[in-house]
Amino acid sequence: MDRKQLIGREFPPVTSVIGEEDVRDFTRVIGDEYPTSKGCDAARQAMPPSFAPLIALRSILRAVDWEKDFALDYATGTAMFGEQKMDYTRPLYVGERLTIRGTVAGVVEKHGAKPFDVVTMLIDATDSAGGRAFSGSMGFILFK
Amino acid sequence: MDIRAKGFFEDMAAGAEIPAASYGPMDRYGYITAAIVLRDTNPLHLDRVYARERGLPDVVQQGPLNQAYLYRFVTDWLHHPWDLRRTAIRFVANVFPDDVLTCKGTVTRTYRENGEPRVDCQIWQENQKGQKTLTGEATFTLPERK
Repeated sequence: MDRKQLIGREFPPVTSVIGEEDVRDFTRVIGDEYPTSKGCDAARQAMPPSFAPLIALRSILRAVDWEKDFALDYATGTAMFGEQKMDYTRPLYVGERLTIRGTVAGVVEKHGAKPFDVVTMLIDATDSAGGRAFSGSMGFILFK
Repeated sequence: MDIRAKGFFEDMAAGAEIPAASYGPMDRYGYITAAIVLRDTNPLHLDRVYARERGLPDVVQQGPLNQAYLYRFVTDWLHHPWDLRRTAIRFVANVFPDDVLTCKGTVTRTYRENGEPRVDCQIWQENQKGQKTLTGEATFTLPERK
């Protein structure tokens, strides 16, 4: 499969509520302090920024089937991370309903010990009012 | 509680260092929680036999966990965690259980964007052998001394 044919493909949006349990469990693993709202909005609990890329990835993993959509053969390796870029415009809050959309923006073939593709996916996260929560891109390395 | 002295915009200039921070040793049992939160139960992160069959010394820590420590390094030092504006992070090497991760950063540029003080910096994470595991850039705002 030539994965370049996937450029422009938009995967189904994934909407989830970012719950307190998830944030608390994750912050406990990384030793982060929780609660973390330090005066940005007394009425709402801000989540640690470290949780934002995790939300994006979790949503993409639910929207994408690497084997079916990207012809990835797990016998030759798993999907690995490339470069990840994130732009933040506002804090994210515990309990927010966020919708993540992933669109394939680029596929570049590279040759190492084995040939692989670097798939770049644009990430757009919107809140329940339709406003942008954050945006960015995620690169994935997929062996041929 | 992060005890590093916080910076102000006027104190920043190209070449200034963000105080380093170390985390760890990494705990393999945390990977189970991370797998649940990520809803990704790839055995590479959980099953050491599976990992060793693939030529790895042990299970591989999930990338978002590695990244979370680099985020902490930056956002715990900021006056407010959401003073973070932008990140670009590259996954360079695997992290394994019992690794100790040290995060470092160097300021590359200070400027204003729409009136807001901004600081660009190079950031990276290395393991106890000095091998880089993550490299990248971060942009954040810092308050000015009044």
